[in-house]
Amino acid sequence: MLRYLFHRLWQSAVTLVLASIVVFVGVRALPGDPALAMAGENADPATIKAIRAQLGLDQSLPVQYLRFAGHALTGDFGKSTATGMPVNQMIGATLPVTIQLALYAMAIAVLAGMTAGVVAAVFRGRWPEWAANGFSLLALSVPTFWVGILAILYLSVQLGWFPASGYVALSENPLRWMYYLTLPALILGISHAAVIQRQTRASMVGTLTADFVRTARAKGLGSGAVILRYGLRNSLIVVTTVIGLQLGGLIAGGVVTERIFSLPGMGKLTLDSVFTRDYPVIQAVVLVVTAAYIVINLLIDLLYTAIDPRIRVSGRAQ
Amino acid sequence: MTAIAETPAETPVANLGRVRGRVVRKLLHNPMGLVGGALLLIVILAGVLAPWLAPYSPTEVHFSTPFQQPGTVGFALGTDDLGRDVLSRVLYGARASFEVGVLSVLLAVVVGVPLGLLSGYWHWLDTLVSRLADLMLAFPFLILAVGLAAINGGGLGNAAIALGIANIPTMIRVVRAETLRLKDTDFVLAAHTMDAGAWRILGQHILPNALSAIIVQATVIMPAAVLGEAVLSFLGLGIQPPKPSLGIMLSDAQQYLFRTPWPAVFPGIVIALICLGFNLFGDALRDALDPKTGK
Amino acid sequence: MFLRCSKFPRGAPLRVAVISLAAAMLAACVPIQHLSVPGGHTDAYGAPISNQQVSSGGTLVMGLSGDPDELDPTTSSSSLTRNVLSAICEKLYDTNASGKIVPQLATALPTISGDGRTVTIPVRTGIVFADGTAFNAKAVRTSLWRHLTSATSARTSEMGPIDSIKATDATHVVLHFKRAFAPITAALADRAGMIMSPTALAAKGDNFGESPVCVGPFKFVNRVPQTSITVTRDPLYYDAAHVHLDKIIYRIMPDANIRAANLRSGDIQVADTISPQDVDVLDKDPKLKVLQSNYLGYRGIVINTGNVDGAGKPPKAINTPMARDSRVRAAFAYSIDRKTSVNTVFNNWFDPACSPIAPSTQYASAASNACPAFNPQRSRQLLAAAGVHVPLKVTLKVANTQDELRYAEALQASVAEGGFDLQIVPVEYSTLLTMRKSGDFELMQTGWSGRIDPDGNTTSFLATAASSNFGGFSSAQLDDLLARAAEITDTAKRAELYGQAVKLIQRENPIVYLYRMRNLTVYSTRVAGVEMYSDGLVRLGKAAFVSGQEG
Repeated sequence: MLRYLFHRLWQSAVTLVLASIVVFVGVRALPGDPALAMAGENADPATIKAIRAQLGLDQSLPVQYLRFAGHALTGDFGKSTATGMPVNQMIGATLPVTIQLALYAMAIAVLAGMTAGVVAAVFRGRWPEWAANGFSLLALSVPTFWVGILAILYLSVQLGWFPASGYVALSENPLRWMYYLTLPALILGISHAAVIQRQTRASMVGTLTADFVRTARAKGLGSGAVILRYGLRNSLIVVTTVIGLQLGGLIAGGVVTERIFSLPGMGKLTLDSVFTRDYPVIQAVVLVVTAAYIVINLLIDLLYTAIDPRIRVSGRAQ
Repeated sequence: MTAIAETPAETPVANLGRVRGRVVRKLLHNPMGLVGGALLLIVILAGVLAPWLAPYSPTEVHFSTPFQQPGTVGFALGTDDLGRDVLSRVLYGARASFEVGVLSVLLAVVVGVPLGLLSGYWHWLDTLVSRLADLMLAFPFLILAVGLAAINGGGLGNAAIALGIANIPTMIRVVRAETLRLKDTDFVLAAHTMDAGAWRILGQHILPNALSAIIVQATVIMPAAVLGEAVLSFLGLGIQPPKPSLGIMLSDAQQYLFRTPWPAVFPGIVIALICLGFNLFGDALRDALDPKTGK
Repeated sequence: MFLRCSKFPRGAPLRVAVISLAAAMLAACVPIQHLSVPGGHTDAYGAPISNQQVSSGGTLVMGLSGDPDELDPTTSSSSLTRNVLSAICEKLYDTNASGKIVPQLATALPTISGDGRTVTIPVRTGIVFADGTAFNAKAVRTSLWRHLTSATSARTSEMGPIDSIKATDATHVVLHFKRAFAPITAALADRAGMIMSPTALAAKGDNFGESPVCVGPFKFVNRVPQTSITVTRDPLYYDAAHVHLDKIIYRIMPDANIRAANLRSGDIQVADTISPQDVDVLDKDPKLKVLQSNYLGYRGIVINTGNVDGAGKPPKAINTPMARDSRVRAAFAYSIDRKTSVNTVFNNWFDPACSPIAPSTQYASAASNACPAFNPQRSRQLLAAAGVHVPLKVTLKVANTQDELRYAEALQASVAEGGFDLQIVPVEYSTLLTMRKSGDFELMQTGWSGRIDPDGNTTSFLATAASSNFGGFSSAQLDDLLARAAEITDTAKRAELYGQAVKLIQRENPIVYLYRMRNLTVYSTRVAGVEMYSDGLVRLGKAAFVSGQEG
């Protein structure tokens, strides 16, 4: 187990270093110049030159990378070229929002998705299955941002049920936090709920029709117990995989939801930083997202063993 | 914006010809699949025939008739803020969505399938390819998309490349899993004993049998790419005006949503129809390819 | 890149539509059409709280259309940042509702010596910065010197050819110029006139923008990136008796329709840069009021006539019809139906523009307001005279934002009749900035946020080898006109010179001016005292909640 952990950590480090190099070289290969974006619409050449020197952009790429990597190892990502604020502070302010949104959305997705999945599997061929399947098909087919805009227009502006946008920190007021974050999390969660519903249903149907379950039924085990003991337990493994795959994506993928609801998350920071060629912020964001993805997947893999001891950590079947 | 197929289909390894017949038969007996197929057929035809079906050029501006209601004579689905015909734009937009979808599936297949086969077959390559797939999965997709857009201002090709790349790692994983499974089957082992070369085994035995999993994964990537195109265009990173796209129509319409919601309704519906078609058809296909489901 | 978009077939209906449209326009046109000043809409600046019953206290939330850049008056280059800075950093001078410059931290308008080279500014005393530091001429000198000499300053060129800055006594600051520079007073009514606490400057240096300290009705509390900036009432402010609000939160909301939705739902009380698509709906809402003013800047198309080595470098010849022949450029200007395109794209809210001189300022004249009418026939004649094949294919680079692209699409339809085949190339904004500087374009749709003094809207964009002369235009005659106009102080004489300059610009067309936006700000009737003048700055310093509406 320890050896396995060590191996995974080493792999993670390699991925992180690779990602940092890719993004470092990548952003500098883009056309556009942070100094120019920073200097504004009517800058004179001397100012631009001074800004470039201040940012260290007049040095060679390897030197720039080593300086960046050295500082990054001590946890210092420098200062944003767009806002002049420390990058750490910017990530520190935006990452929690993104994580909260992702977790909230995932909680909704798991709850709704698994329930609908179980319903669909248990009521096979009857109307609840059709309803659940129809809902998830629809949810998978409609653009999320479109639903979000419509929701703001009708649920917020016309009916006034939810706030149109904004955010209150969880530490400040948990109830307000929920009030502000529920609609975005719901919108973001819908399509993920659909995926989970389909996975749960497929896996439950598979299990419930399997021979060993038939045997259990034949032995007189009640159907509620069968569903719980065999169906849910097996589908939990599948669902865990899906969560792992999606949560990583959610950290980076909440951008549209964040943008529609003006949530101060990292997605918007990501977009803006590339638009303004804010090198320090882009580099930090990529590292954070990559690290988050790696950590989540590591946790998921460890979770497998907890859910199903039959699975050995090293032999994760795909 | 990544998507994976549900439980990888159990691929029959027996006679391919007979399997094909059974699959088609099963497909034809699945009402949902038929509905999905019909939907796709209609939308594909509409997209392909757009230059003949569209009453106007999609970029043709009518300064005198902006914001016409649907049902107006001459503009069946109304016009947008520049007086452009929504019907014509929707037709061309559907076409563009398909182009993006097909191109990104192609990219995912062309890159993902060989890598998946290789890493499944040769263990020493597996580590390398897996790191690469990890990196691609972990790397924020949007940064890639913005980066590509920055190089030449976005466009259909960029959207397809970004979405294709985003879907490569899942394709690798699906094909790798299939390869791992098939490698241990009797007929591959038999081929080994007959001194067949690795390439021959991969090409003649493993690839054809992995095909159904690849097709299923493609039907998953397609709608994801169509939705992805809309998202990218919404963020200004995908297809660029004046070329019409469903995503651009939505984000344009969002600007004047308070004035009139109509120009936003139809592109949304068409996106939903395309994706619904693929999802229904993909499901039916998966069921049909699964030997466990009855008849 | 594969599969670049193919050209769509242009059917017959387009031609018919455009021709009939053109005919309709022609019938109503005279060769030179004078635009009404200001356009179709009347300015509404809001009013100070006079005898309205207001309550003391409360937190006002303003939806800000973007994330400001560094909150440092010296380096800031985003016009959005001014909105926030205006609440915390007062300036030596301010603009009033009628567009006149009035003293703010200065006590009177500057005295200018006969040769125009010595400018003396009397400043307030007996007041303090938000950190308690005393305000005096020495503090003013420190700030002005930083604006002028800091390597990364965005103010240097605005301040002109200053030789030295001296604090002669506690109440007077004297600026010595190498040559007369009339625009200095207007510059000091903007960020160059913001005075920072010398104590804070000494302590923070380049990091001043992380927590700025100035003289103002409010003082900086904190900034959450991408989210909000909070300022709170400054008890040390000299006019604190007229400050009513406890706090202002600037919440960053980049999407126009999200700002509109929040105004309607009452979550925010003020929002800037309202979209012309939303403003009609908001205007009808009895709970909301619209403020509007003319924009001092412009949007236009820069034609690359000589930028080969980069903006600011000596121009070189470019061998395209557009670059070498002013008749072709004039034809292009004639082929643009400014009125129809701007009205269609911006819902009748913005005004056509044909010059860099804003009609709302005192430097505007009949000559500077003149506008060549839409005349596709004339355009084709000029193209024929220049010996170019019609349609002439020209490529326009445009930032890939929605408004810019939609305008370009309307433009494409408009210029077709005049004999131009306009190819639109959308470019991501940062890339566009680089292309603009390096001269990597034929035509580029771009703009300028505008300054009160016309020099700030002309010289650096049009004078030979000036830093922002992106098209590389060069005309000795125009250089001379602009230089003379900057050196004299008499408003009428300057207006006349700028009129001549506009005439020349409209003949040569280095930049084809297209339209002027309007500053559109909406606020809730729950608050009073929100003002916005022609500089587009939303002033919240003296705003308050109306009694009984604190919510």
